[in-house]
Amino acid sequence: MTRLAVDWTRCDGHGLCARLLSESITLDEWGFPILTDAPVDEDAARTAVSVCPALALRIEHPARTA
Amino acid sequence: MTVTDPGTLPALFPATPPLLTLGEPRLLAAAPPAVPSRDRAWLVHAATDVRLLGRGGAAFPVARKLASVPLGARVLVNASEGEPASFKDRALMRHSPDLVVAGIRLVAAALGSGRPAVVAVEDEPSAQALAQAAGRAGAELDVRLTRHGFVGGEIGALVNGMEGRAPRPDGRRVLPTERGLAGRPTFASNVETFAQLALLSALGPAGYAAVGPAHEPGTSLTTVLGATPVNGVVEVPHGTALRDLVGHDDGPVLVGGYHGTWAVPTGARVSRVELRERAIGWGAGVLAVLPADTCPVAEVARVTDWLAEASARQCGPCVFGLRAVADDVQALAQARPVDLERLQARVGMVRGRGACHHPTGATGFVASALTVFAEDVARHRAGHHCGRADLGVLPTTHTTGGVR
Ligand code: SF4
Ligand code: SF4
Repeated sequence: MTRLAVDWTRCDGHGLCARLLSESITLDEWGFPILTDAPVDEDAARTAVSVCPALALRIEHPARTA
Repeated sequence: MTVTDPGTLPALFPATPPLLTLGEPRLLAAAPPAVPSRDRAWLVHAATDVRLLGRGGAAFPVARKLASVPLGARVLVNASEGEPASFKDRALMRHSPDLVVAGIRLVAAALGSGRPAVVAVEDEPSAQALAQAAGRAGAELDVRLTRHGFVGGEIGALVNGMEGRAPRPDGRRVLPTERGLAGRPTFASNVETFAQLALLSALGPAGYAAVGPAHEPGTSLTTVLGATPVNGVVEVPHGTALRDLVGHDDGPVLVGGYHGTWAVPTGARVSRVELRERAIGWGAGVLAVLPADTCPVAEVARVTDWLAEASARQCGPCVFGLRAVADDVQALAQARPVDLERLQARVGMVRGRGACHHPTGATGFVASALTVFAEDVARHRAGHHCGRADLGVLPTTHTTGGVR
């Protein structure tokens, strides 16, 4: 199971990720990505991470709570 | 209700609002009790017994936080009170600084903290009161005046600001219990939490639990404002009916503050746990009621604008989204046509999309206001301004005082 997460302090709304992963990432009216909760394909997720010019995407491992 | 004379202060700083207590004062008692020192295991057990919840917005179980830091951890007291509608932390520090200092010492000693505890505080009179209390107690305390505002009061932002970085939340949230002050594991909590721990040590779990319901004993400080029977900072036993504090529970009440919730809290009581079951957060402990002669839409619009401005300007959805939401609510206030569905979609869109809690808290405030004031909103939207002015009941100027 692979999930993507955005570091919102880095993302500047290039929208490349949405073009790459159009099934799981859309853009809001201001151009920032909307990630769905649905797990995404591992390889596609890795590509998105590597292509994000702002280094804002990461692959999320099961969240710790506290 | 007991009324305590808050005393007078230099004119530069906002005066302490009336201090009131329902029942026996504890936090606001005239003289602090003797606070025996305890080891960490005692504190963890006692805090578990009385189900003590942190007194910042998140209401995290104190026992778990105490247990999760290694011995030797640093101690950080969040006394920044960036919420403009809240005065309870400043009231506590100005009125009961000895109790606060006793609580800080208690925690620092129980954790074997090698360095003096750091207190981040914006209000100078509070800082002075704590420094003097520390002197009386012969305690070493590192009181630091901060000027970081609402979002800068988030623990991560606070640490960044105090260590010379921009006072903004980190992109990837790191728990202070893992990495806080100087990169060290840190027990960080709201200032009232420390005073509660002092009371817990002084009274013991059974004595502490003599007030309030078994599932959430004790008292809390709340700031009550607007069209309520009393205005001021009130120490209130848990389990008290909200009606007894604010005068009604069959009309709109703002609970929590500007990251809080507008609700018609029929039958609700002061209890973080019970309110959470109603999807209401106790937050900063603010309770506000608007009088009939102010325009609720305009009040909400002004606060929403303030919230948009308070964004730390890092995260796109927070910066642009909150601005768009605030402009929509402002248009509503002026009875200009607004696409209400789009506004509601925007509110839902911003929620949860930022590095800190701000977009979620702010949109919770707006969404609940749109629901609770639906009739006023509908009239404004249809172009019928209610004719009432914005009386400024909900404060949006920062009341910390001092020269900015
Ligand atoms: S590619 Fe990166 S910077 Fe661009 S929208 Fe996606 S996450 Fe944001
Ligand atoms: S979510 Fe908003 S307030 Fe929080 S860090 Fe990002 S821009 Fe700042």
